Amino acid sequence: MTKSVALFVTCLVDMMRPRIGFAAIRALEAAGCEVVVPEGQTCCGQPALNSGDRDHAMALAKQTIAALEPYEAVVVPSGSCAGTIRCHYPEIFEHDPLWLARAQAVAGKTFEVMAYLDEVLGWKPEGVRVDARATYHDSCSGLRELGIKAQPRRLLKAIDGLSFAPLQGEETCCGFGGTFCVKYPAISNAIVGEKADAIDATGADLLLAGDLGCLMNMAGKLNRKGSKVRAYHAIELIAGMADGPAIGEEA
Amino acid sequence: MSARDTIFARLKGDAPSKAEADALLIAPERPRVDEAALEAEFLARLALPSISATHDVIDDMAQLPAAVARYLESQNEALTLCMPPDPRLVACDWQGFTLHDRAAPDEAAAIAVARRGIAESGSLIFETGPTAPMLPNFLALHHIVLLRVDDIMPYLEDAPLPGVQPRAHYWITGVSGTTDIEGTYVRGAHGPRFLHVLLLRQ
Amino acid sequence: MSGFKDRADLALADRILKVAVERTAGTAEAKRAVAVDAFPDFEAARDRAAAIKDHVVAHLGAYLEQFEASATAAGAKVHWASTADEACRIVIDICKAAGAKSVARSKSMLGEEIGLPHALAEAGIGRVETDLAEHIIQLADERPSHIIWPAMHKTREQVSALFKAKHRSPHAEETIAAMAESARRELRTQMLGADVGISGANFLIADTGAVCTVTNEGNAELSLVPPRVHIVTAGIEKIVPSMPHAIHMLRMLARSATGAALTQYTTFYTGPKRAGDRDGPEEMHIVLVDNGRTKMREEGLAEMLRCIRCGACMNHCVVFRQIGGHAYGGTYPGPMGAVLTPVFDGLKESRELANACTLNGKCQEVCPVRIPLPTLLRGWREKSWREGLEPTSMRAGLSLWAWVATRPRLYRLGTGMAVRAMRMLGRKGWIDKLPLVGGWTRYRDMPKPAARTFMAQYKKERRS
Ligand code: SF4
Repeated sequence: MTKSVALFVTCLVDMMRPRIGFAAIRALEAAGCEVVVPEGQTCCGQPALNSGDRDHAMALAKQTIAALEPYEAVVVPSGSCAGTIRCHYPEIFEHDPLWLARAQAVAGKTFEVMAYLDEVLGWKPEGVRVDARATYHDSCSGLRELGIKAQPRRLLKAIDGLSFAPLQGEETCCGFGGTFCVKYPAISNAIVGEKADAIDATGADLLLAGDLGCLMNMAGKLNRKGSKVRAYHAIELIAGMADGPAIGEEA
Repeated sequence: MSARDTIFARLKGDAPSKAEADALLIAPERPRVDEAALEAEFLARLALPSISATHDVIDDMAQLPAAVARYLESQNEALTLCMPPDPRLVACDWQGFTLHDRAAPDEAAAIAVARRGIAESGSLIFETGPTAPMLPNFLALHHIVLLRVDDIMPYLEDAPLPGVQPRAHYWITGVSGTTDIEGTYVRGAHGPRFLHVLLLRQ
Repeated sequence: MSGFKDRADLALADRILKVAVERTAGTAEAKRAVAVDAFPDFEAARDRAAAIKDHVVAHLGAYLEQFEASATAAGAKVHWASTADEACRIVIDICKAAGAKSVARSKSMLGEEIGLPHALAEAGIGRVETDLAEHIIQLADERPSHIIWPAMHKTREQVSALFKAKHRSPHAEETIAAMAESARRELRTQMLGADVGISGANFLIADTGAVCTVTNEGNAELSLVPPRVHIVTAGIEKIVPSMPHAIHMLRMLARSATGAALTQYTTFYTGPKRAGDRDGPEEMHIVLVDNGRTKMREEGLAEMLRCIRCGACMNHCVVFRQIGGHAYGGTYPGPMGAVLTPVFDGLKESRELANACTLNGKCQEVCPVRIPLPTLLRGWREKSWREGLEPTSMRAGLSLWAWVATRPRLYRLGTGMAVRAMRMLGRKGWIDKLPLVGGWTRYRDMPKPAARTFMAQYKKERRS
């Protein structure tokens, strides 16, 4: 039976790297889903939420809930945006019983894309080949809010030719932190500098992760320091789209 | 309004139920201890780098002075000992030793009787009293402790003795150590640098 | 006073500091991991620890009354202080009544919180810090930079120079052991000659009236047993119902702090010296301090009262590891400090601390009492936003963005334009200077976005 799922693209993927959204669609379709992209979506409101701007966070949460609630399941190619919807929307509406119920309903059916493919659908990529050595960074929100750790690794293991180099401190924050990286650029830089060194030290060809914000941060630092490591969202490889440009490469 | 009244005015609330407090203690998570091999478990913990105590075994109290002498000689220390007026210690024959019962600021060695040993952590449990001062155990460079094998208990919950609590109840789990400079472990920060346990198997 | 950013910049420029912090925090992190792995079901133990503290905080008044009664019955005198100043005054008065010229102090973060070192100096009472790290801090005339290792920011070279300048018979050999030995020589006589011993408390046992201290150096006992008077200053949240409750917390504390099963010395003091006792103080005073704690309980920070001051959150914090403790500017650094400092110093002065966090959640993951530190920090951010303390540029920027983002059609237009504008700034896939986010491009490149947004491409694809 085909499952109908809504893709919540996320504002960052929408603007900066649409390929991730298309990769998510491709993988979901390969797994037998029918994917829709609801019209009314923009941003989940995380920047407002994490800046303490409750009112705007609430307005965006309401808009997002309204856009997503008609669907059977909601899939998000970002652990932190999925985490916002799953974990924080119900908190935001703690004192609003009407919206709380709606928030909880959407939260309950929202999944990070790789967790959805692996855990809910039990799917694995077939016939995908990437001859490269990859290292994986666990983005914090996905890891700690949603328990995303084994799922991407299981999916990536099914790719032929792909080998893995363990990343020292793979669970250590990369220093992105949303608005943190522009509010405290020097601290953020010190953190991502260490992360980039650790990535380089793996000797891997590819850096993979599940969140575009972290990936842009790490890839941007790697590029600035002249590293040759190329960065992709893991779903791009899983969907068989590793032949395209890596982050920061011209199409 | 006194500070006490101000504070309590903000903390009004119902009294805790004893049952609720007790329920928090059911089946505590704690290190596994083989209760059939308490002595071995205790000694294994004593030998851990974090404690690194040495030990010796004696079969009865008459062997105590010789065991203490053996230890002090092995450490190139004189047979001078700070010994509290514990009747069990006093009853031994300490010929050849220079004894005193008040610790000097640069005390080399002190002996004490532990009330209990705890296998879970390798801790020695002491309590103050008329025959059990506290200070010597923190001043001496060598801390020598007599412990009856029968007093080894599995868990820290076994450390407190029932009844009225002494002025000080204390657990010693190693020697005076510090990691205050660059996280590097140094023994003998202020107090004992060596801990030697004499197990009495009676 | 310089702001947080200035202090952080200074810290970031100090590579020696970075090395020093890394050596200690790195070791602590590795050792904790081993200890937690070896412990059967540490996760359940964390649940229990949190539940014990929540139970106490829910019934705090009753437990404090019980503690007061049992400590008094054991012969201790219990005092109450609403504020830091009150607490200091009580301590000074006790010292003066005892005719004290010098006090030996065993490290206590509460003492730092209420400014006790300063108050003692003002009262002209000599102070010997007996914890090795606090001794280093005292000699250097600095403030602690960590709650477990107050001198974490100092390298061995710096400590060596300090001891050589200040100790009467300093070390000759350049080893850490020799330096510790130098401090031992220096401190021992001073410690034994003090008139009053002052400590904090790791736990207060409600049913027995005992005060528990833990140290690895044994300096608490050496500071508190010889003097005639023992003064304890403790936060009112330090209560646990009984000894077995304390035991559970102790199992969590050392493992989380240093990775050890227990600290070397754990002592429960119940009242002053008894008839026939051969040592111990003649007077024991316990000063119970509120200093904002009842307010925390009322105003959404009750979970923070679970804190047992283990330091795990800062040892595992990416920000702390880069900037060390002094940059935070308060008594308590790191994640727990960022939550606590606004309580003591006011949000206006310390709102940056709540913001200077990536919300990565690591601190919460390692906290032995499961304090939701990121949630509490987000709470401060919300308060700061509500009270208009956040910078105008931030407020204006976020409001404009939210205004657009709540209008999807306008948003599509805006993102399309933004993408085109950004692409004009890019070269070969990357943008190396981007207005508005100069902080980003000062240190790293920004990938050039694709020619069209996802939404635009998707619509086009579906239409064809
Ligand atoms: S907040 Fe948690 S981790 Fe941090 S010091 Fe307190 S108890 Fe330890």
